[in-house]
Amino acid sequence: MIGRLARIAGAYFRSALQEEFAYRGDLFGNVIRSVLNLGTAIGGVAVIFSHTETLGGWTLGQTLSLLGIFVFVNGFVAMFMSPSLNRVVEEVREGTFDCVLMKPVPALFLASARRFAVWHVSDIVLGAIVLGVALAGLDVRASGWGVLLFVALLACGVAIVYAIWLALTTLVFWFVRVANVTMIFNLFFQTGRYPIEVYPFWLRQLLTFVFPVAFVTTVPAQAVTGRDPSWLVWIAPVIAVVAVLAATRFWRFGLSRYTSASS
Amino acid sequence: MIRSRTLAGFASLLRAELADLFQYRIEMFLYGLWQVVNPIIYLVIWSTVVGSGDIAGYDRDDFVLYYLVFMAVSHLTLAIEVYTMAPSIQTGRLSPHLLRPLHPFWRAGALNIAYKAVNLMFLVPIWVGLALILRPAFEPDWLGIALFLPSMVMAASISFLIGSCFAMFAFWTTRSMSFWDIWMSLTLLLGGQVAPVAVLPGVLQQAAVVLPMRYTVGFPIEVALGRVQGAELAAGLAIQAGWTVAAAAAFVVLWRAGVKRYGAVGA
Repeated sequence: MIGRLARIAGAYFRSALQEEFAYRGDLFGNVIRSVLNLGTAIGGVAVIFSHTETLGGWTLGQTLSLLGIFVFVNGFVAMFMSPSLNRVVEEVREGTFDCVLMKPVPALFLASARRFAVWHVSDIVLGAIVLGVALAGLDVRASGWGVLLFVALLACGVAIVYAIWLALTTLVFWFVRVANVTMIFNLFFQTGRYPIEVYPFWLRQLLTFVFPVAFVTTVPAQAVTGRDPSWLVWIAPVIAVVAVLAATRFWRFGLSRYTSASS
Repeated sequence: MIRSRTLAGFASLLRAELADLFQYRIEMFLYGLWQVVNPIIYLVIWSTVVGSGDIAGYDRDDFVLYYLVFMAVSHLTLAIEVYTMAPSIQTGRLSPHLLRPLHPFWRAGALNIAYKAVNLMFLVPIWVGLALILRPAFEPDWLGIALFLPSMVMAASISFLIGSCFAMFAFWTTRSMSFWDIWMSLTLLLGGQVAPVAVLPGVLQQAAVVLPMRYTVGFPIEVALGRVQGAELAAGLAIQAGWTVAAAAAFVVLWRAGVKRYGAVGA
């Protein structure tokens, strides 16, 4: 079963790749876009640090590492998650979601791994570069365990993002005119550009437990920059598992409410 | 004569767009929240960084005040043409509008104003609520307040015209959105969102004073709060007027070239 699904996802990915190479000129434009966006983001951090040594206890290098993680995750989400899930919103509105339900594979799989925006790979690569350069400047000793912990925390963060996005998408079964999900998600995700310690207490709680951006950028950055990892490190896997389970349950519940467009 | 007919046409377009967008007021509100959440992030950051001192003449209260006004100004000067006009150029839905005896961008203007008006219903209570919670000290600078309106009108005009230019890139490319992304992230940095222009370090500040971004958002705020005075104020208003003219010229040039191109594609 898993092998079959992987093959199907692979086929979708290859077709997305072919489509991308049909528009090579755009690819170049997109790389420029990514570089300039990153440039202004780094500029923003530089402006803040031209007036202070630390931000919420984070140094310039640590904050840049966090920015690298933010850009990386942002690119990852834009490449692998949002295209498929946004398509679901469109299809439910147009009534063509019926076709997805009739396919002999789980609807959740098709809803999550059908479309890919390959050109966002430039954001993924640039994010990784920023993280790498910032870490080199920080001179942190990378132990095998540290790297493993970081990768695991990053995976938890991505899983949490997936859960949030899936839950937001599922709302479409009730509100057919659900607003652009990307918009709502990005709105709150912007807070992840800076370490969670910057925000006042109530907002920190909100970004940890209600819309858990803290686990996506701050927690992995804590682990990799050698900052004292907070207790959040230990509950990240728990939150990730609970969030994904809750979101998939919610999805199934929502799906049972799907009435197609004609009825 | 023609002038008054155009205005009458614009007024009916505005009524229609208002009625239409009012149906989607919750969705509109979610878009509108962008202009609340982003300033709050930077308000929080600068409040933390400034502590009890001041940066380039801004103390904590000044930052709070600046970003509260920023919320209102950035909403009222927002350009949405890349989301409204670019798709109709791409899909060919522009065609019927070309047949009307009114330039299609009158409709874009009506949509722009209607969007802002509908959102005020939600945003004004949020602005007032935040102002009452944060209660920044405020000493009115009457000259600045008097000049705020003209500066705002110019800012909204530059923003609309430049936004329309980016939308018209859709005549040539399918991904005008990428260009808009670049423009927006530059506006974020140089337009006064990441920091008030006075707080930007050396080179960035010099660039911000010359480039158009500041004159679409940041400048009217600085005027209203009395942050620019005397010669600086006069020079700023002159630069802003200059960019308004330049943006209008670019708009006209792009429209003429674009419409020709549009016919040529056969859309």
